[in-house]
Amino acid sequence: MSPQPQAAVGAPLSRVDGRLKVTGKAQYAAEFDVDGAVHAVIVDASIGRGRITGIDTGAAEAQPGVLRVIHHGNAPKLPYRDNAGSNNPPGRRQRVFQDDRVLFHGQPVAVVVATTLEAAQHGASLVKVEYDAERPSTDLHDAERDKPTNYARGDAEAGLRDAPVRLDLTYQLARNHHNPMEPHATIARWDGDKLTVWDKTQWVMGTHDELAAVFGLPAESVRVINPFVGGGFGSGLRCWPHSVVAALAARETKRPVKLVLSRKQMYFGTGFRPSYEYRLRLGSDGRGRLTAAIHDIDAETSSYETFTESVMGAGQMLYSMPNVSQAYRTVPLDVNTPIWMRGPGFASASFVIESAMDELAHKLGVDPIELRRRNEPNEDESSNLPFSTRRLRECYTVGAREFGWQRRSARPRSRREGDWLIGLGMAAGVYDPGRYPAQARARLDADGTAVVEAATSDMGPGTYTSQTQVAADALGLTMRTVTFRLGDSLYPRTSPHGGSATMASVGTAVHDACNQVRQQAIELAVEDRESPLYGVKADDVVVRGGRLHVQANPARGETYRTLLARNDRTHLEAGGSYTGPPSPERHSYHAYNATFAEVAVDATLGLVRVRRMLGVYDAGRIISPKLADSQAIGGIVGGIGTALLEHTATDHRDGRIVNANLADYLVPVNADVPEVRAIYLDGEDNDGNALGVKGLGEVVQVGVAAAIGNAVFNATGRRVRELPITAEALL
Amino acid sequence: MHPFTYIRVSDTREALNAGRRGGRYIAGGTTLVDLMRETVERPEALVDISGLPLDEVTVTERGGLRIGALVTMSEAAAHRKVRTLFPVISEALELSASAQLRNMATIGGNIMQRTRCTYFRDVTADCNRREPGSGCAALEGVNRTHAILGTSDACVATHPSDVAVAFAALEAQVRLLGPDGERQVPFADFLLRPGSTPNREQALRKGELITAVEIPALPRPLKSGYLKVRDRQSYEFALTSAAVALHVRGGLIREARVAAGGVGTVPWKLPAVERHLVGERPSDSLWTAAAAKAAEGARPLQHNRFKVELLQRTVERQLRIVGGTK
Repeated sequence: MSPQPQAAVGAPLSRVDGRLKVTGKAQYAAEFDVDGAVHAVIVDASIGRGRITGIDTGAAEAQPGVLRVIHHGNAPKLPYRDNAGSNNPPGRRQRVFQDDRVLFHGQPVAVVVATTLEAAQHGASLVKVEYDAERPSTDLHDAERDKPTNYARGDAEAGLRDAPVRLDLTYQLARNHHNPMEPHATIARWDGDKLTVWDKTQWVMGTHDELAAVFGLPAESVRVINPFVGGGFGSGLRCWPHSVVAALAARETKRPVKLVLSRKQMYFGTGFRPSYEYRLRLGSDGRGRLTAAIHDIDAETSSYETFTESVMGAGQMLYSMPNVSQAYRTVPLDVNTPIWMRGPGFASASFVIESAMDELAHKLGVDPIELRRRNEPNEDESSNLPFSTRRLRECYTVGAREFGWQRRSARPRSRREGDWLIGLGMAAGVYDPGRYPAQARARLDADGTAVVEAATSDMGPGTYTSQTQVAADALGLTMRTVTFRLGDSLYPRTSPHGGSATMASVGTAVHDACNQVRQQAIELAVEDRESPLYGVKADDVVVRGGRLHVQANPARGETYRTLLARNDRTHLEAGGSYTGPPSPERHSYHAYNATFAEVAVDATLGLVRVRRMLGVYDAGRIISPKLADSQAIGGIVGGIGTALLEHTATDHRDGRIVNANLADYLVPVNADVPEVRAIYLDGEDNDGNALGVKGLGEVVQVGVAAAIGNAVFNATGRRVRELPITAEALL
Repeated sequence: MHPFTYIRVSDTREALNAGRRGGRYIAGGTTLVDLMRETVERPEALVDISGLPLDEVTVTERGGLRIGALVTMSEAAAHRKVRTLFPVISEALELSASAQLRNMATIGGNIMQRTRCTYFRDVTADCNRREPGSGCAALEGVNRTHAILGTSDACVATHPSDVAVAFAALEAQVRLLGPDGERQVPFADFLLRPGSTPNREQALRKGELITAVEIPALPRPLKSGYLKVRDRQSYEFALTSAAVALHVRGGLIREARVAAGGVGTVPWKLPAVERHLVGERPSDSLWTAAAAKAAEGARPLQHNRFKVELLQRTVERQLRIVGGTK
């Protein structure tokens, strides 16, 4: 096959769905106008652990408009089949209204279905639930830990003992919630035994499989639709209990049911980035060459499921060192189950490792970038595999130059502007992007336009646009003539839209499907006596703007339309696939960054204000530079939140989340977001996948919090090992 | 939200009649509607007063200001007379809420707004303010943002308003209209400390309507300003704040008006700080010494101990910003 000219890929295009979004025509889950839909509102448990001893639904049921109140006392038993291949963590998943147990504060204990939203809300407030309450255990520092997951190479204890320089540091990382703009929502409709669901999700197939498993339905009886997602950051990677509640309520009332979580319910109705206590002991020689690291990692999970994430990866391969030991312990608490959140695991670990590296640099009097260069590995020491690409050194060089790193004084508190102390900090970032099996279908119609479909999602990175770019180039069509469709479980199956996997995985499948369609057309032409391309070697033909021609002789060719019309073909069609990375892996495939921050800290009031941020990314080929900038800015803003503001606060007396709203759970607002700049190292990662991409959405948040924390130290001389960094730590 | 009736009134007589029958006044609705959604507030009847002619800012004969109760926060903040006579009021308003909320919310509603205490706003939590006798969950709970001054064993919630801090500093008067006619209440007496009855928040009689907030004249030249300290740079309630107005003549401070926000169960006037300033020459050491008195009587809780120090530093900073030097 001759290489197709690259026209759309790499172009800084605006979103193809931008107009739909800004004109309000993009339909989000709760916005589908499903005929006859009624409304459901969940009643949340007001204790942190215990049993329901009584439910009085009389007042609620007496309200005009209320159709039904469903709870464990009257709900049918649901099959809850196992769902292998799902994102459900090991354990026994929350089963809605199946028994009287309350596992955490806010757990659904009943649902009120009514003809109007107002009646359902009012009805929910009238349901009286009696409990036998027990004191919940919700404090990470005061609970029993599970057996650890371990990793070891060399002898870390001995390495540390013998190290001339040692650090022993413990970090506390707050729980963070995703807080997407769009609340989670589900509309469920039964047509006989067939269930159709409009659901906010990052994985229509995941919701599809879970609902089939919970209700014991054959796969073909469930359809899940979700063309637009108003932000996710990971919160949509799993089918949550409220989706089951909606489907159950629809079945019980024999009406389509719409259920939208309130902002408050988002804090316990979906997952979160778990809180951590992370002790890191580092040993190095006198020049800062690392010799040993011991990681003791405690992370919260629920009492009923064991959620884990990739928090061990960075400690194993970011820097070269002979001795590493890690113990990762989950701590089961009376909380709902966590879920991945942007940069999962790596973002948390990187705050610890990169803060500690900054401490080591300061202790040794070595520049933090130089310290990192001295510890740059030649191969992935956790797998002994060569890197597909690893260009961290270039990230450092470009970042230092563009950020003005040489203006940083190594001595803290040395730059002051009025009441403000100014500091610079940096951190390295790494992420292990996913590559998961995916399928796609491409269809070229006789009118010369194409439709490409995959059951993936677009939570914000611009999947619609970037997949259209890939498809357009592979088909030799313009962007305008290609339509990419996603968000329907009837489309070819993909894996979750998360983990920075979508372009490498779905993109490769799309690329494959479109290549096949183009190839079919080329073969049709070269074998067609009436085609000007008759007899040409198929490998010598390319397609540009919908016209096939000899690569070396653009004058000789014809359009798809002419070709298909003459051959009486209504369309050409092909399925494409991506089967995942080679097994065993031949390369260590990671995305990297160097992130730089300049902060101002009010010397007496302790306020931290970020002034400038720069991220330099080794993320392989950038398919869509304008979308990439949106990703980078979003990731950095998320990192500012983690560093300075975000903290889900729990009252340990009863497990209540006390800041379950956007006034008290602080995310950065525009005023908190300064000049943010992103630079992508030019190039591609051809050992990773056919498109040469490494995924960008996660790595952009990794290292941000550490860069800010390190800048705070440079400004103030104060080392804060607890996130978020708030005024009281700096007074 | 519980069901309620809603009427619009077009004159004050009509409003007072509805108020006397137990109707709750609503104007911008930016607090009340929120709390109704959470079922914290369950009024049976709403009386929409936004059509009443209480929406003017006027200069009083002696050179003070009268701000009508229905003047919106954004109108008051932008008003030329407010900006020139009392910048502290404009600044406090502009550092409050968001532009959208300031366009809806009124001055009368602003000083009536209820606490942001998370336990008050969650009907499943114990709260004496919401449900007398149920207890105070904040006392031993998550209380980083709570009050250190004016608290009681029954309640430790802060008053959230910024502009009320400016009003308290400037010793404003609240003008009220009730079935028995008009009266005027000093701002310091209008908002009530919780004591053993935190459910009683204002010195309002049944059916009484706020018609205006009046700022008394102060000798000129007067410098004033508001400083708000918070985690996020915009759209957040104060951890601490300070409203300061100083009249300096002949090199000496002749009048001082100082109050703090984010720390008290009501906007916290600081007479000890004021007394320390009057008659003195502005200097950094004066600001430090005066501000040291800002947290007198503070009773910090488990998570808000930092507010004692932060309050003093906030007052010190704002004295310097308004009074100069360094």
